Amino acid sequence: MTPLALLLTVSSLLFTCGLFAVLTRRNAILILVGLELMLNAANINFIAFWRYGPPDPDLTGPLLVLFSIAIAAAEAAVGLAIILMVFRHTRSTDLNRLNSLHG
Amino acid sequence: MIPLIPLLILSPLILLAALGAVWNARPVHAALLLALALALTAGLYLTIGADFIGLVQFMVYVGAVAVLIVFSLLITRPGDEAEELARRPGAAVSGLACVLPVATVLLYAVSHTPDLSSGASESPTLPLQTLGKALFTDYAPAVLAVGVLLTAVMVGAVLFARDPDKKPPTPPGP
Repeated sequence: MTPLALLLTVSSLLFTCGLFAVLTRRNAILILVGLELMLNAANINFIAFWRYGPPDPDLTGPLLVLFSIAIAAAEAAVGLAIILMVFRHTRSTDLNRLNSLHG
Repeated sequence: MIPLIPLLILSPLILLAALGAVWNARPVHAALLLALALALTAGLYLTIGADFIGLVQFMVYVGAVAVLIVFSLLITRPGDEAEELARRPGAAVSGLACVLPVATVLLYAVSHTPDLSSGASESPTLPLQTLGKALFTDYAPAVLAVGVLLTAVMVGAVLFARDPDKKPPTPPGP
């Protein structure tokens, strides 16, 4: 197995884990945990293709990862702030209980 | 063959930590296992030569995002895990039914990826000077856009998270 195939396999399985968490968890914060895992899997792909792909003097892969990490951090901050706001309204982060648009 | 050994050690650890984060019934444990998975991924980047990316991953993901998630869990005090354990078998079946086709397609695509490593040099490390130069010349608009985005996110998060009913503290009189 080449290193590239190994890293791509890890990234695929990591993405699958994240998707499973997003689909099955009911706590909104733990759904964000799954989202972070999926974003992380995408980053592993970028680095794997940079390191084990054809030579890339422009460093497109690492640069994309840097921006991706920055945007993932922004997404987590806004997501958690929204969850805190919802928690103040409903005293719960269980998505099964958030079934009305009205406050 | 040599660089494959750290990968072979780190990869199962990353997957185990991720599985723990996905499957642990206690939310705080799940968040800490997520931090472990992200830290191990940073270690993976460090071992394959992307040092700077590994350090950024460690600082931003482990130092900021994972800690933020743990703090949110502490603030919201999620309920006990009995309810979670009760609905778990059904959730696992439906979740696997959705996830297995995705995993099959992804792994099929990976198994048909040609070996691209013929042209790659043996042990490239990330040339930090080139990276910095690219960030502040070709990618300068993107860096500025990220700066604007982060500022907007900071303001937005403060607006969302602050308690509208609570009065701001009055400044002390003269």
